[in-house]
Amino acid sequence: MKDTSYKDEGQFCSGHVACAGCAEALSMRVILNAVGEDAVGVVVPSCVAIILGGHPTSSARIPFIHGVLESAAAMASGVKQALVAQGKEDTTVLCLAGDGGTYDIGLQALSSAAERNEDILYICFDNEGYMNTGGQKSSSTPRAAATGSTPHGKTTRKKNLIEILAAHRIPYIATASTSHLPDLAAKVEKAKTIRGMKVIIVVIPCLPGWGVADNAVAKVSRLAVESGVFPLIEVEDGLKYTMNVDEKTQPIGPYLDQQKRYRHLSNEDREGLQLDVDESWNRLVEMADR
Amino acid sequence: MNNQLSPIWTHLTSEGRNTGTWRSALPNYQNQPSPCHGACPVHGSIAAWIKQVKDKDYHGAWLTLVENNPFPAIAGRICHHPCETACNRGELDETVGICSLERFVGDMALENGWVFPDPEVERTQKVAVIGGGPAGLSAAYQLRRHGFQVTLLEVSGGLGGLMRHGIPAYRLARDVLEGEVSRITAMGIDVRLGVEVADKEALARLHGEYDAVFLATGASLPKRLPGLDYDQNFVMDSAEFLAASPKAQITATGAHVLVIGGGSAALDVARSARRLGREVTVMSLEAEGHLPAQAVELTEAAEEGIRFVSGAMMVSASQHEEKVTVQAQMVDFQPGNGPGKFTAEPIKDSTFALTVNTIIPAIGQDADLDRWSGLLSAEGPVLDTTPGNWQTNHKGIYAGGDVASMSRFVTHAVGMGKEAAHAIAATLATDLPAPPPSQQAEVAYARINTAYHPRHSRNLQELAATDARLKTFDEVQQPLGPDAALSEAARCFSCGTCIFCDNCFFYCPDMAITRLGGAYEVKLDYCKGCGLCVAECPTGSIHMQEEAR
Ligand SMILES: Cc1cc2nc3c(=O)[nH]c(=O)nc-3n(C[C@H](O)[C@H](O)[C@H](O)COP(=O)(O)OP(=O)(O)OC[C@H]3O[C@@H](n4cnc5c(N)ncnc54)[C@H](O)[C@@H]3O)c2cc1C
Ligand SMILES: Cc1ncc(C[n+]2csc(CCOP(=O)(O)OP(=O)(O)O)c2C)c(N)n1
Ligand code: SF4
Ligand code: SF4
Ligand code: SF4
Ligand SMILES: [Mg+2]
Repeated sequence: MKDTSYKDEGQFCSGHVACAGCAEALSMRVILNAVGEDAVGVVVPSCVAIILGGHPTSSARIPFIHGVLESAAAMASGVKQALVAQGKEDTTVLCLAGDGGTYDIGLQALSSAAERNEDILYICFDNEGYMNTGGQKSSSTPRAAATGSTPHGKTTRKKNLIEILAAHRIPYIATASTSHLPDLAAKVEKAKTIRGMKVIIVVIPCLPGWGVADNAVAKVSRLAVESGVFPLIEVEDGLKYTMNVDEKTQPIGPYLDQQKRYRHLSNEDREGLQLDVDESWNRLVEMADR
Repeated sequence: MNNQLSPIWTHLTSEGRNTGTWRSALPNYQNQPSPCHGACPVHGSIAAWIKQVKDKDYHGAWLTLVENNPFPAIAGRICHHPCETACNRGELDETVGICSLERFVGDMALENGWVFPDPEVERTQKVAVIGGGPAGLSAAYQLRRHGFQVTLLEVSGGLGGLMRHGIPAYRLARDVLEGEVSRITAMGIDVRLGVEVADKEALARLHGEYDAVFLATGASLPKRLPGLDYDQNFVMDSAEFLAASPKAQITATGAHVLVIGGGSAALDVARSARRLGREVTVMSLEAEGHLPAQAVELTEAAEEGIRFVSGAMMVSASQHEEKVTVQAQMVDFQPGNGPGKFTAEPIKDSTFALTVNTIIPAIGQDADLDRWSGLLSAEGPVLDTTPGNWQTNHKGIYAGGDVASMSRFVTHAVGMGKEAAHAIAATLATDLPAPPPSQQAEVAYARINTAYHPRHSRNLQELAATDARLKTFDEVQQPLGPDAALSEAARCFSCGTCIFCDNCFFYCPDMAITRLGGAYEVKLDYCKGCGLCVAECPTGSIHMQEEAR
């Protein structure tokens, strides 16, 4: 049977305020435990900041600095430099942000840090929208998905952040999903061993934002991977693409059916989305073959 | 000096917050019966012993198997396996080969000489079991496990009932039968062969001498085919034929044998005759595709060159020298309500003739109830018993197997023997309460998270080559090898049986599950009731239970 185990040494604490059944909390459990004790965290406004905080308490055992939405990567760069100045080169700087803070508002800071190849581990919790503020669209929202600000569905495609980051030729980019917990843990472990800029994008089906059932986040992320909507990949040095799951085993339909944000779609819309997926997938396959 | 942290700094973990108050339902760990268990006539703990096979704990698997059935090697060969028909895995790809795994474990026990544990206590009460077929042997075995003094009376010269005198060796090798039967008698059962309990007076006497009696005399009277003179030398009844030695079978049959009937017994006759070098035709009332025999039997028989004339009725048979001319007619066969009921309407202008040498009718057996009448009452063609405990109208006399039921299969007989034994034990010893019938619902396919069970086709048993088959009575079905058995066991979903995979533990976003080693505990202070643990359980062993607050 498929294995789901990963190391848990209590780095993430119960009593946090994530929604019941939240995939972001589940991912944090895996990530914080893989990162371990020798780490300093940086976090910007987003669901993850709320899950971590609730003054004067924290759900993480490592210290976190809460900063502004525009500057996650810039803050993390500064923290790393300060640690280096103290002789703590090996301490991991873990930078957590949402897709709004990554694809949109924090993109400039991220691009600059990537260009400088800062030694930070940047995690983007990609729930495809501004979710803790009530569910508005971001540039990560996929085409056709309904959000508070695109009630009839977004008309443009999801921004391809992986290719943007790859263009910076940073040492490590990866995607991950709560349907593959040991894979997520292994990617964090691997990133820890690499000096320079590492970015891991985790797909986070948002319970209220996507309209999925309380018990269904693993199922939805699994369908996202199996349908090729959210492929599991690694990109090394911006050039070497590896597909961790190299087969699409599902059409897009079952994935869409699990989510209220797609329930207004016509069959034509659904077919269009399938074409988007196929096109992106084929492009990845080509890059992985190169 | 003031050492206190300023309250403006974060100085607490979130663990002080009781998010358990958010919840309206709580996960509840509960092993539940699998559908195969419900369908199994002995109600074997299938999910549990297959899990032990997965873990390569073969001896443990055998011990679990023999709690309910002392014949895993036999059942693994000839059980009609309704468990497989009910198996949840059929909805994903193909059902699990439960029967072939059972044989794998049963054979291993025979090879290694594993024996039954001794009874924990010896008891003084005595029970008589009449009939040494699967029903009687199963009851004797269960009673002996409980420590009772058991006497087994069998009219013939050997134990096994129809497993010895009916089922041919090419389906059930005799050393396997011998091995599983002698393991039972070795428990210290007083076996008396060649002893007939002839009538109701003899039965009443036994009842006076013993604390309880279990009657399992089977169904020994062949049904008679109208229009056939059984006194003719070209007619031989199927039961007599199957019970005879191959030598006697050869003497009794001519070159072309006509078998009449479409069930398992008819096919056993036909395939045995084929192995003696006879040309064989099987004639049945049922049309092609509707014969009551199992599909594999029909396929294997066809491979062996047996000819089928289906949807036809014998009208008359007459002999001229060595040849028997059979007049027959096509019929429209319609099954009726209940076992043994049907109509067969002759089709106009469809008569035909066949020339054969021997006719062997195999159209079923009736229980001999006359010899008990006046003491035991009947319910239709079988003895009247109380459902669940198998007691007859006469207190202290129990009955099971073919004499008490129309479910005419070996494992049904074993199941009845077991249930009757537990009922007898409960009346004779206060420390052995009868196990209550399970009220729990079976685990439905929808409860299994199939993402954890990759598709994999069934590991099939090989068959001996057809030409080799026709030369001997050696077994046709070959055993699964160790790798194939492990691969087949891995296909089982373990429906309703926790396999301690820890998925529930690893999937909780709130760290609300504690592993206790062999159990799990939900932390009431933190569980938010999302149900993710339940959704990611690959075995359906947890469910959400609403909480009233
Ligand atoms: C040819 C044939 C093939 C079959 N194949 C299969 C199969 O593949 N799978 C399957 O599940 N089922 C099969 N069956 C059915 C199965 O064999 C029976 O349902 C089962 O054996 C019934 O068990 P039992 O213990 O009730 O009776 P039996 O097996 O008939 O045993 C009764 C025993 O009681 C003894 N006995 C009878 N009267 C007395 C008496 N007065 N005093 C003392 N002893 C007595 C008999 O000698 C016999 O040993 C087959 C049946 C036949 C006829
Ligand atoms: C410059 C700026 N604009 C707006 C906000 C308000 N704000 C706080 S969190 C947030 C949404 C962030 O979305 P995302 O990064 O995707 O995180 P999510 O809430 O989806 O986890 C917004 C708009 C802000 N803090 N700063
Ligand atoms: S999958 Fe296993 S436990 Fe479930 S019904 Fe089939 S054999 Fe039984
Ligand atoms: S996953 Fe955790 S929080 Fe959710 S129902 Fe199960 S124990 Fe409760
Ligand atoms: S998830 Fe695994 S460990 Fe948890 S109840 Fe189900 S089978 Fe048992
Ligand atoms: Mg977001």
